[in-house]
Amino acid sequence: MSRSNVCSCCGRPVTPYEAAVHFPCPNCGDVTIWRCETCRDRGKTYRCLKCDFVGP
Amino acid sequence: MARKKKKSEEPEDIDDLEEEDSLSDLEEDFAEELDEDIDLEEELDLLDTDDISVLEEEEEPIFDKDEETKQLYLSCGIHIGTKLISGDFKERGWLFRATNYGLYVIDLTQTEERIKIAAKFLSKYVEEGSDKVIVSSVRRYGKEPVRKFCEALGCRAIVDRFIPGSLTNPNIGTYIKDASVVVIVDPHADKVILREAKLARIPVVSLFDTDDNLKGIDLAIPANNRGKKALGLAFWILAREILLELGKIASEDDFPYSLDDFTSNIVPMYKLQEQ
Ligand SMILES: [Zn+2]
Ligand SMILES: [Zn+2]
Repeated sequence: MSRSNVCSCCGRPVTPYEAAVHFPCPNCGDVTIWRCETCRDRGKTYRCLKCDFVGP
Repeated sequence: MARKKKKSEEPEDIDDLEEEDSLSDLEEDFAEELDEDIDLEEELDLLDTDDISVLEEEEEPIFDKDEETKQLYLSCGIHIGTKLISGDFKERGWLFRATNYGLYVIDLTQTEERIKIAAKFLSKYVEEGSDKVIVSSVRRYGKEPVRKFCEALGCRAIVDRFIPGSLTNPNIGTYIKDASVVVIVDPHADKVILREAKLARIPVVSLFDTDDNLKGIDLAIPANNRGKKALGLAFWILAREILLELGKIASEDDFPYSLDDFTSNIVPMYKLQEQ
């Protein structure tokens, strides 16, 4: 976990104190998707920077 | 508890006034925090969509994939949503159309595509440790599909009551260490495990009906998550696709389970009464 983890929904850095989640992009599997607690809570969409997959 | 007023925003596309009463009831059921299993079971009865088969004939061909597969999907009613539509569902473009009598129909191509993507996604977790993959269903018709899915893949099924703390409290006996991903049938019915997955920072995959919302969900599969056949089909295909993805089977025909194996054989109460 480095400080460069950025939420794939809002673009803000993810802090270690929040209930954020990360997982490989469901489509390409090559990029790690991060979702901050707020964006995950609100069901905000994320986009993969490599394959353009839009989730959830 | 908030009354009907606030919640009446949701089914905005329904213009049939006659349906307003029954709709309000449904909405109310949805808005309630149902902590009792009994209440939930009643609610599920109310929402069973298995009997709605009239749509099958009406359905236009919407994608030129193998006709047999399409017919299978249609015959299981995996595309049949509910009479409510959430903002999340609409915004994602998963809606095919609304019927004259106010039932929302899911775009089958999206369902198919998402099952494939979910299979790809879950196969990585299964490969890393299938017993760390948690699959849960509070819905009765989801229990058998979940059991069979877990049997086929070696995942961990939670089909009885989910004990709070099982994902978050290492001090209780049911605690599951290192759960890697959680699969649920219904964000509303499976809300307890959904909440814990959030706290434990575990990714969540969920079937997603027209009235569900995306709060806490990391990957949604638009599909009927109430019907008996629909749930059987969703998990049957998902399990098969994961095994294909992992190279454990060489073709669809090698999948050693039938769709019937994955489908609950519970007979709904109202059908027993008819007999
Ligand atoms: Zn965010
Ligand atoms: Zn991607």
